Amino acid sequence: MLEFRTQGYNGYAVKYSPFFDSRIAVAASSNFGLVGNGRLYVLGLTANGIQAEKWYDTQDSIYDTSWSEAHENQLVAGCGDGSVKLFDLSVPNYPVQSWQEHSREVYAVHWNMVTKDTLVSSSWDGTIKVWQPNRPNSILTLPTHSCTYSAAFSPHSPSIISSVSSDSHLRIFDLRTPASASNHLVHLIPIHGPAPVPGAPANSIRPAFPPSEALTHDWNKYRDTIVATAGVDQIIRTIDLRNPKAGPVAMLRGHDYAIRKITWSPHLSDVLLSASYDMTCRVWTDGSTMGHQNAHPGLASISGGRELGQMGRHTEFVTGVDWCLFGTEGWCASTAWDERLLVWDVRAVMGP
Amino acid sequence: MSAAKQRLTQVSGHLAGSKSSITPTEGDSSSARARILQKNPDDIVVTACLRTAFTKGGKGGFKDTPAADLLVGAFKSLIERSNIDPALVEDIAVGSVLPPGGGATEFRAAALVAGFPVSTAVRSLNRQCSSGLQACVDIANAISSGMIEVGIGAGVESMSLQYGPGAVTEFSDLLEAHPESANCKVPMGVLSEKMAKDRNVSRKVQDAFAASSYQKALKAQEAGLFDEEIAPLAVKWEDPKTGETKEIIVAKDDGVRPGITAESLGKIKPAFAKDGSIHAGNASQISDGAAAVLLMKRSTAERLGQKILGKYVAASVAGVAPLLMGIGPWAAIPKVFEKTGINKDDVDIFEINEAFASQCVWCANELGLDQSKINPKGGAIAFGHPLGCTGARQVSTLLYELRRRGEKVGVTSMCIGTGMGMAAVWVAE
Repeated sequence: MLEFRTQGYNGYAVKYSPFFDSRIAVAASSNFGLVGNGRLYVLGLTANGIQAEKWYDTQDSIYDTSWSEAHENQLVAGCGDGSVKLFDLSVPNYPVQSWQEHSREVYAVHWNMVTKDTLVSSSWDGTIKVWQPNRPNSILTLPTHSCTYSAAFSPHSPSIISSVSSDSHLRIFDLRTPASASNHLVHLIPIHGPAPVPGAPANSIRPAFPPSEALTHDWNKYRDTIVATAGVDQIIRTIDLRNPKAGPVAMLRGHDYAIRKITWSPHLSDVLLSASYDMTCRVWTDGSTMGHQNAHPGLASISGGRELGQMGRHTEFVTGVDWCLFGTEGWCASTAWDERLLVWDVRAVMGP
Repeated sequence: MSAAKQRLTQVSGHLAGSKSSITPTEGDSSSARARILQKNPDDIVVTACLRTAFTKGGKGGFKDTPAADLLVGAFKSLIERSNIDPALVEDIAVGSVLPPGGGATEFRAAALVAGFPVSTAVRSLNRQCSSGLQACVDIANAISSGMIEVGIGAGVESMSLQYGPGAVTEFSDLLEAHPESANCKVPMGVLSEKMAKDRNVSRKVQDAFAASSYQKALKAQEAGLFDEEIAPLAVKWEDPKTGETKEIIVAKDDGVRPGITAESLGKIKPAFAKDGSIHAGNASQISDGAAAVLLMKRSTAERLGQKILGKYVAASVAGVAPLLMGIGPWAAIPKVFEKTGINKDDVDIFEINEAFASQCVWCANELGLDQSKINPKGGAIAFGHPLGCTGARQVSTLLYELRRRGEKVGVTSMCIGTGMGMAAVWVAE
């Protein structure tokens, strides 16, 4: 396990470069991201441990970062003052572009992995915005009317955007649909389950799960209709967009506090990693490679999903985790409010 | 609220939802609760709320006072207490069930008497027993949509002067021919009797609930717990013995009386069926009264220097079968929970109107509510249910009690004649 101290700055997000197996970006903020500066670290994995190659200071906290898919030197940051900033490693100290359109904290930024020329940001102001690096203004705004903690492009389609927000809903936007009153929204999926039907029998007046804030989600890298979500209710759910009404395909429980980040493995279609306020990172299988798991979709208990192992070396809320895309499958990095970045091998924490 | 504090609340919300041992903001038990407790500039807040005393229909202190006069009294007290400039009030909604013509004319006149300028608009509305709540909700919605800045939700009823068969128009043949439609005019007592039988709410359970309502109200009255919400009113009153008219001050609910136990109620004859279970002692009293609630955005309240008593969070309305109108709260409360994300454990006090002990008990049991959280100062069985007024009355009863106890979240709810229910979530500050 390798370690780097983000001295004075509490980690908020971590991302491996899609171009180099030895480069990691960490978004961090002073004073737990409540007040004060942000710092974006670009770290190199060297023979002498992890070295800070560069860092950028910002006026307000930084909550998320994403590498450009097109340019190996560029990365973007989502900031507490509502700005989205683009940095180029060849330009010191200052961003090459700063977009100030969101009115509240930007909690997610994500680069389009298919066309590689757009990125998406989401904010507590209840909007998602799409940007192009060479344009001075956003090219599209999608309203969610709810504090949106996470937004992403589908890795399988250049025009599909997903988000989860504090209203407990997963939204799917398809930019190929005409711009109409629905603002490209094609799916509005209640993560906690469908609303009760008025007049239904007494035992069904409350759904099994109350709505709860959704904090993170990720598209499966192999199955293009599977999205995993997680948040305040401590449950990771996988949802099949072909039939969201059937409820989650798998429900993975184990975290003791809210889950801040989940990410599917780039190598294995059934494995995902999570980071939580309970100070652990956990690795899970959703059970989809275990045979006839779809015989009873909706009955999560029989999907075979389970926890494969956990990493408990962080001593504060774990806020970010990401897989290394290169080399032997299993390497990942995590960041936490304990001012530490840890680089570790998932296989080392998995049970026999 | 500063940005740092808002961020902290947001993160505490994440932790609070986890039912953790870490105590989030103000010791809340869930993130939804933490969220509704947040103070934002665009919250709709209550800066004053009050009611008149409730007095017995036909013999109480207000028996000779028309509804509009009660309303004048409530409005005057509201202006006095809040110290609001009446010219800033843009609209007033008054819920009332019985007046012919809905009361539209006399309520506008009442507002002018109370000191509102001609620029203050007034309207009456009628959603039966929830009219007072509907009035508050309508005003809150008008404020949040930007139609008005400051408004008053009110309710009033003089059952002494206006209760009677004239309150419902005869049904046409067309309405009579449709079975569910014809059910809309089955008298409340008769259908509640039937519902109590169908849903197995025994006489004993009803009497016990009713007796506890009386006992709670008596205790609250003796402890002076209604003093904050009641605005005393000077009215003319004719002594039925001497025929002499004199001016009296009414400051106390006269329906509340000592010495009522489940056993004493057990002796009363059923009112609607020989083998029935509902009687005068376990149904709401016929009363007169008025109530009013002053609403505005938090930003407006802070600008005007108004004292904030609490905030309005959300409301729901739900329809049920006309013959089962008593189950209205059972349908409406989960709906408002769904809207706000909270659950029954997040609520500190439920004010559920006691139209009949039978329906109130049934709803509470079916929803699994904690008995000690329901109507802690008694309810309509003990001090009366002036139809259109009740919804606005509950706001005062609830907010002052939450504040007294240092608790936060309350729900007001009631069943509605012809088969509906309404519920609203309020937060005391």
